[in-house]
Amino acid sequence: MTQLVWNGLFVGSFYALVALGYSMVYGIIKLLNFAHGDLYMLGAFSGFAVLSALGGVSAAMTLPVLMAVLLLTMVSTGLAGVVLERVAYRPLRGAPRLSLLITAVGASFAIEYGMRAATGPDPRVYPVRLSGTSIEVFGARLTLQQLALIGVALVLMVGLNLLVTRTREGRAMRAIALDPRTSALMGIDVNAVISRTFFLGSALAGAAGVMAGAYYGKIDFLMGFLIGLKAFTAAVIGGIGNIPGTMLGGLVLGLLESFGTYWLGGEWRDVFAFGVLILFLTVRPTGLLGERVTERV
Amino acid sequence: MRSTQVASLVAAAMLLAGCGQGLLGDGGAAQQDDKAPIRLGMLVPQSGSEAAIGPYMTNAAQLAVEEINAKGGVLGRQLELKAADDACDAQTAVAAANKVVTEGVHVSIGGYCSGATLPTLPVFGKANIPMIIPAANSQELVDQKLKHVFLINGTGTQQAESATKWITKQGATKVALMHDNTSYSKDIAVRTQPLLGDKVVITEAVTPKESDYSANIANVLDKKADFVYWTGYFQEGGLIIRQLRQAGYKGAIMVADGSVSPKLGEIAGDEAEGVFATMTPIPDTLPDAKGWIDSYTKKFGSAPGPYSNQAYDAVRLAAEAITKAGSTDGAKVISALEGIDGFAMFSGPLKFTPEHTLSAGGFQILVWKGDKFALQDALS
Repeated sequence: MTQLVWNGLFVGSFYALVALGYSMVYGIIKLLNFAHGDLYMLGAFSGFAVLSALGGVSAAMTLPVLMAVLLLTMVSTGLAGVVLERVAYRPLRGAPRLSLLITAVGASFAIEYGMRAATGPDPRVYPVRLSGTSIEVFGARLTLQQLALIGVALVLMVGLNLLVTRTREGRAMRAIALDPRTSALMGIDVNAVISRTFFLGSALAGAAGVMAGAYYGKIDFLMGFLIGLKAFTAAVIGGIGNIPGTMLGGLVLGLLESFGTYWLGGEWRDVFAFGVLILFLTVRPTGLLGERVTERV
Repeated sequence: MRSTQVASLVAAAMLLAGCGQGLLGDGGAAQQDDKAPIRLGMLVPQSGSEAAIGPYMTNAAQLAVEEINAKGGVLGRQLELKAADDACDAQTAVAAANKVVTEGVHVSIGGYCSGATLPTLPVFGKANIPMIIPAANSQELVDQKLKHVFLINGTGTQQAESATKWITKQGATKVALMHDNTSYSKDIAVRTQPLLGDKVVITEAVTPKESDYSANIANVLDKKADFVYWTGYFQEGGLIIRQLRQAGYKGAIMVADGSVSPKLGEIAGDEAEGVFATMTPIPDTLPDAKGWIDSYTKKFGSAPGPYSNQAYDAVRLAAEAITKAGSTDGAKVISALEGIDGFAMFSGPLKFTPEHTLSAGGFQILVWKGDKFALQDALS
């Protein structure tokens, strides 16, 4: 039982990290950024490129080197997110919601198949692998690397939450989420803040991408598709636009999948997880922690 | 006056249509121009999840085409390969099949994903084009008993029999079958299960294209399995092997032919050591393929992979059948294929059964050693 909980939490923390970007972007400009999962893929690939360029990394140095790579990747993926917003979304700021949505789907395909054109369709294998001693905790088997990854995910999420709730920058983001026009009148540089929001959300997705690459080992150009959908689901479960809710949503989805597989077998997992989701949303359409009724597409 | 104008227009249109047929049509081109190349159509995944396998097959086919052309071609005509992408997807595959049919191919030598190959059977059937399928091997492909469909890979049934033989020989008592719910993968699992009977403690389906299979693996461990047989493709296979070992699984692991790829070991890392596989002969386990591997490597800058040899053989077999038939006419080529007895292929001398499958599946047991698959047991 504890093993199931642990498995669910571990997968869920990846969902949560990716879901945060979804949630922030939706919160601020009401856009479902379907290309978000592909930023996760971009992160995994840019981490791969950096690690390959470094060449061999000794086992003792693995963790520090990975941390450095993680930071580098977060910056590069964040910038990619900013470019994406500038090129694909900003020109459409005043356009109907539906055009933006379709643009997002188009951006997703463009990134996926652009990456395929650049690196080829073969899956790549990370040059550095996180695998190591496992320990037993309350009957669950977990590895120190898993703990480290969850730790990193937690630090990033708590840091983001502090940034949004405690800083001027965060206050500007929240103000724009409430009313972009009034915010502009109050002297907030709306475009700059939106750019920075994309940067943060994309950087988190990039971090998740590197962590997944280093832990699971395999990356490919379509890896962002499924996790993008899952992250979107997690964001909706938790209350899209709400940061603690989104984190919670990721963990809940991970647990639902873990227990669904155990109770009903692998082929029923998604039926179970998404059935619960539908039921839950009919009872509470705003999600776990969503306070206000948000517009949905 | 008016009616004659219409009549002449109609006549002109018919003339044009006739010309079009002569240029594009199958029989017309062959009869009108003895020098036109013989076209071989090949649908393989070049994009999507199985995209990695496409080049292995098209390169090998291209190699065979060039070798045959260098020796003067077939019936004095050159061979020409027309490859198209089926993306391992049913709809894309049908569109691609229609495309190569309009390009006037004479024989189809493609087909890797069973789920994508199945809907193309009637497309080629209608155009009277024989299909030599090098890799796809779901039983469903031959269940319809179509006259133009020939499989040169062992079938799911044959693979299940070989797997059962090895699992029994290993003395496994609690077998876990894992598949990914695709036509090919489920076929093998479903056919293996009754052969093993109550030794199968769990049949677990996973969702392809994910990274984390810990939940499925928890189920397998929960049933205390001592033998895991994964019947899906290599990307998930590599992850599953690694995650099984990390979760503390100590028993044997075996994979089916869709997972036999160098990438499997790369993805699984050190944990791949000792993993078994049910597979038809691959370049590495063929005693006299050394020269062939060298010429392939020299030409394409990388070593041949899974189904390279079958794709190569499919071209050679098509050439042989057309030579025997003395024509590219579909019906004649089909009866030539049916009549073939003892044609030398990598998998051994070829003779088709009445249902157009190999008379012997030729599945062997391979084992991952160091950095590649090696022969463990020929099962003969």
